[in-house]
Amino acid sequence: MATRTETRFSLDGVGRVPLAVAFLVVQVLAFVAAYTVGRPTWYAFFMIGSTAVTAYAVHGDSFVVAAATMGSILMVALGLPLFLFVARQQPAIVVEKAFNPDVHRMLYLGVYGPLLAAIVSLVFGVPLAHLLSEGFAGQPLVESLVDLPLVVPHSVAGIIILFGFGKGGAFPNISVLGTMIGMVLAMTFVSAPYAVNATREAFESIDDRLEYASRIHGASRWDTFRRVTAPLAVRGMVTGGVLAWARAVSEFGAVAVVAYSVSFFYPPAGGEVTAQHAPVFVYGTYLQGGLAESGAVAFILLGVSALIFLLVRYLTSDSTTTGGVV
Amino acid sequence: MSLHADVSATFSADGAESFHVDAEFEVERGESLVILGPSGSGKTLLLETVAGFHPHEGPVTLDGQRVSDTPPEKRDFGFVFQDYALFPHMTVRKNVDFGSRYHDDTRDAAELLAELGVGDLTDRYPPTLSGGEQQRVALARALAVRPEVMLLDEPLAALDVPTRQSLRDDLADVLADATAVYVTHNRTTARALADRIAVMNDGQVVQIGTADEIFHRPASPMVARFTGSNVIDLDDAPSIRSALDTPTDGIVTIRPEAVAFGDSGDVRATVERIVREDASSRVTFAVDDVTVEAFADRAPAVGTEVWLTLPEDEVHVCRAAAPAAD
Repeated sequence: MATRTETRFSLDGVGRVPLAVAFLVVQVLAFVAAYTVGRPTWYAFFMIGSTAVTAYAVHGDSFVVAAATMGSILMVALGLPLFLFVARQQPAIVVEKAFNPDVHRMLYLGVYGPLLAAIVSLVFGVPLAHLLSEGFAGQPLVESLVDLPLVVPHSVAGIIILFGFGKGGAFPNISVLGTMIGMVLAMTFVSAPYAVNATREAFESIDDRLEYASRIHGASRWDTFRRVTAPLAVRGMVTGGVLAWARAVSEFGAVAVVAYSVSFFYPPAGGEVTAQHAPVFVYGTYLQGGLAESGAVAFILLGVSALIFLLVRYLTSDSTTTGGVV
Repeated sequence: MSLHADVSATFSADGAESFHVDAEFEVERGESLVILGPSGSGKTLLLETVAGFHPHEGPVTLDGQRVSDTPPEKRDFGFVFQDYALFPHMTVRKNVDFGSRYHDDTRDAAELLAELGVGDLTDRYPPTLSGGEQQRVALARALAVRPEVMLLDEPLAALDVPTRQSLRDDLADVLADATAVYVTHNRTTARALADRIAVMNDGQVVQIGTADEIFHRPASPMVARFTGSNVIDLDDAPSIRSALDTPTDGIVTIRPEAVAFGDSGDVRATVERIVREDASSRVTFAVDDVTVEAFADRAPAVGTEVWLTLPEDEVHVCRAAAPAAD
């Protein structure tokens, strides 16, 4: 029996990808037209209306149309500022900033610092995630502590770190204020929950019996972790690491408090340089140079962030989580 | 090698009452003991406990050597799981070879797989195999390490009927000379594979004996019902009581295959229900306030009155009536 979907619009005939591409092209053209005539508001209404019409054409179902319409309103709130941000860039300033050595240092530090934080989060987070996946006495307390940074305002997190590890803190010989150690510590504080939780979910999704099968056929706990558990959870670990990295890249509050400017070894200069973490740098540029200059820097940073986002999407997509095998 | 287990373990899960397993059994060298019981009776937990997967009290001994405090990898068991538990990230060959690095004397994977009829699957990954193929590979993995004792947890339960029958025949060959503990809720499988059967209920072994003893002389109404016998409370069936040459009271059992019916016999009965099974029909007769089942190639119509013959030597007094109070 033919369904209503088939009678309205054959998805099989058109294909999902061509349909999505066509929809995207229409959206871009509509935005360009609305922006050119100086009426971006028109595009907002067009996006909502065109989504509703497309949903009706494809599904003919009032529930889907309502859901798509409501969803498109949120997409406008998220996407329109982004479109306008990109459209209103001044290419000359963007190019100038792209060749600015300070921006290069910022980008280097903005990738390198978070990478260290992600590595620290994984090295110490993976064992904790494994313990949490197995369960232990007092687990809720540890879980709460792991998740605490998710709800603490990040400037507060920075202050907590200074109390804990700054002067008069737990390790008075280690300097954290304005140092690379302090910056990585601040980033780790806010990003570790992502690494721990993603890895823990990966461990939890592994059937206990696989570990039993490994043990009973001769493997010790270490070997079972190395040969069975870790390979099966590796995608969760990578996802957790990338999420932690992305979170650290975007961290402003804690880093601004603990390490507003940091000195670090910068290979192109062959020595120590001082720079600021990317979000801090953008904020500083905004205060000193205004919206246009900070926008250009933000645009470059957005490109890097988008690459990270695409990487996360790639790593967490279905085809890669199955690895073509599992 | 003989295995003796007398273990006690408590299991608890969130939101559920804790479950206690307290069971003892012994398996002689070359003997197959089938642990038979309904779902939720604790069979799998008992087997996993014996394997060393769960903390427990009480001894597990192999040829008198206590292995209770030995980790699973040192107990010299092979284990076949209901849901196969093959390592999804390893090829079939690597799965079967998994234990080779931990054991001095292992069997050749290719040879073993060929013997089990899956020799052409060595380079495939488990998720691409059918259930029957996966279970054959899992059996090969367990046999490859030449275990002293094979533990099998409902290996046929997840398979379709033709695959189950085929693999059951192969298992009968494999287990012919092996020391094995085989868990199942399927009485046909139990009868086909067991040298002795231990019936388990509510975490305890309630009867242990040969298949004939379990099926023809059940120790309790529960065992009789679970093994498919007719369970008759003579208080509710006076016509059966009066038909017995040796008058008795209490609860008696008789195998349905021992019950005959025709135009003459001991007890008047009415056909109440007919269920067509593979080769014959299972006919339910109403006698007084009880029902009695029998098998027939040709069943009379529902409502027909017939005479049942209950051979005296097939009637087993399962529970004598309590002496009347003075």
